[in-house]
Amino acid sequence: MPDLDIRDLVVRFTGLERPALDIPELVLPAGAHVALTGPSGSGKTTFINIVTGLERPPAGRVAWGGTDIGRLGEGARDRWRATHVGLVMQEFHLFPGLSALENVLLPQRLAQFRLPPRLRAEAGRLLERVGIERPGQKIETLSRGQMQRVAVARALVARPGIIVADEPTASLDAEAGAAVAELLSALAGEVGATLLVATHDACLIAGMERVLHLEAGRLVPAASLPAASAPVSAAPAPAV
Amino acid sequence: MFRFIAADLVRHRWGALAVAVLIALATALGVVVTLEERALRLGSARAAAAFDLVVGAPGSETQLVLSAVFLQPAPLTLLPGSVLAELLADPRVAYAAPVGFGDFSDDRPVVGTTQPLVDGLGGIAEGHTFMRLGEAVIGAAVPRALGETFHPMHGMAEARGGVHTAITYRIVGRLAPTGTMWDRAILVPIEAVWHTHAPDNYGHEGHRHEQEADAGRHDVAATGTTPADASPDSVQPRTIADAYKRRQESEAAGFDAPIRPSAVADPAAPGVPAIVVKPRTIADAYRLRQAYRTDHTLAVFPGEVLTRLYGTLGDARQILAFVALNAQILVAAAVLLVVLIHVLARRRQIGALRAFGAPRVVVFAMVWLEAVLVVGAGLVTGFLLGYGVALLLARKISVQTGVVLPVGFIAEDGGAFLLLFAACGLAALLPAALAYRQSPAAALRD
Repeated sequence: MPDLDIRDLVVRFTGLERPALDIPELVLPAGAHVALTGPSGSGKTTFINIVTGLERPPAGRVAWGGTDIGRLGEGARDRWRATHVGLVMQEFHLFPGLSALENVLLPQRLAQFRLPPRLRAEAGRLLERVGIERPGQKIETLSRGQMQRVAVARALVARPGIIVADEPTASLDAEAGAAVAELLSALAGEVGATLLVATHDACLIAGMERVLHLEAGRLVPAASLPAASAPVSAAPAPAV
Repeated sequence: MFRFIAADLVRHRWGALAVAVLIALATALGVVVTLEERALRLGSARAAAAFDLVVGAPGSETQLVLSAVFLQPAPLTLLPGSVLAELLADPRVAYAAPVGFGDFSDDRPVVGTTQPLVDGLGGIAEGHTFMRLGEAVIGAAVPRALGETFHPMHGMAEARGGVHTAITYRIVGRLAPTGTMWDRAILVPIEAVWHTHAPDNYGHEGHRHEQEADAGRHDVAATGTTPADASPDSVQPRTIADAYKRRQESEAAGFDAPIRPSAVADPAAPGVPAIVVKPRTIADAYRLRQAYRTDHTLAVFPGEVLTRLYGTLGDARQILAFVALNAQILVAAAVLLVVLIHVLARRRQIGALRAFGAPRVVVFAMVWLEAVLVVGAGLVTGFLLGYGVALLLARKISVQTGVVLPVGFIAEDGGAFLLLFAACGLAALLPAALAYRQSPAAALRD
């Protein structure tokens, strides 16, 4: 499982004086469960886009397990993301018209010429694990909580080393959110993946080993965070 | 990938359907114009195939061909009988037959001619040819039975001509189908036409026209009705009853007589509006045409006149094709816009696909394939629809005129189809490229 190593990452948007993201140094060990918090506009989404390779870091080094994704081309980054990153998003981005099972398998189907049979079995297993009883059910007929659980299964089906969730519980009610939060932690733990969750959800934050707090693009000590995670949340993390 | 495209199409089925229908209609428009023009050209060329050379009195060449070949009614100047006799005696002529039109029965032209033209048109398929003055042969598409009788009417029904009441033709044979106007025609011996329109009858005819105008247009060709029932006898004023009777008698006189083929070879025979000539060789055809282009006669190759007509038709087709093309371009532009908007509306979905690891090429291919599928379906439907409409139109024209219009695709159309398809494929690259350039991060931005 890859660890994350960020050096001198600066992201600027044209027209803005301050950089949207300015992280001189950040190291996350492989298999860590990390919450990313901060107010709206603090750079959470930019951070997620950068570390998942959705956007290319304009300056600095962002390396997962020694692979500097900033040096990969767009196609290579797509391929890297397809194999290493499982994504869960606030708006599930499930595709209507397809069944739960087809949704779980869709990214793999599109990325690979031929779908390995074991993936299908794995998808079935994961759906059962997240509590979807009928894998053949059309996705638009599921409840929002069920949809997010299908999205969790989709993020995990290719056994990625990194799971990134962007506000996975924000559009769910408390009960469904709790179920998804629990599943994320449990499943990431089961496969030993590094879990990075951008969230406001205290319940979700509480289950994480570490909290990164962003303020105006910089990592700051999360003084106002729940006491449980305070000791390990000091950031920027000191260089090893 | 295909599953995803299918699901997306099902989800947007009405939009996709509307786009496909739009394309189908635009395509059909162009296809109909092309097919119908070609069918008209081929059909009329086939209709003229039996007519190598047509000789008439000086006048419009086009009208001569339209009247002699396509039986379009027109008052043509008569050729003197001597011309026919001369042609019949000419060694360069395989056969020459008069085409004597002017009479009608139920809007069907009654054409006086001779045996060689009956054979030249394809011969008799049922019954036998006319052997007596009062016998008639009907074209394949005339809905009458052998044995029925009819009275010819002078001029078209709309023209309110007179009924030659006393003359009764009996249908004795049916022509083999020719796919031309002649399928709707009724052929009678030319001698019978001469007899009907014998100069001493014209005075009475003219007199009668006035009465007939009020009496209505009775074509008494109906089955089983006796002439007495259907003729306008009852409304005839008494004052001309005698004259009428006398004329009736004179018209009817000798109508049972056998025809004399030699009568047409008589230089003193009455005139005919047109003569169809079958030359023995191509060289003879040109010589004959030369010989009969005089002050008193006009000789034309129908094929040549048709070619000239097609020139005009071609111009009309070009205008129609231009209109159709513009309609297609407009539709193509509108469709492209719709597809682009659709792709833009799906930015997040496409971004999400990329975010989840779908390669850019796959996203590109999906958008392209989906667009090509919808457009291609429209194109294929359009070609089928155009073919169907062209076929219906051709059938309608056939029913009206008897000219069979062969509607069909040729290899060139396949090329046009492929070209159109390729153009659509190229146009679809635009939305696909848009999707290709779509940033996957867009999926995450709210």
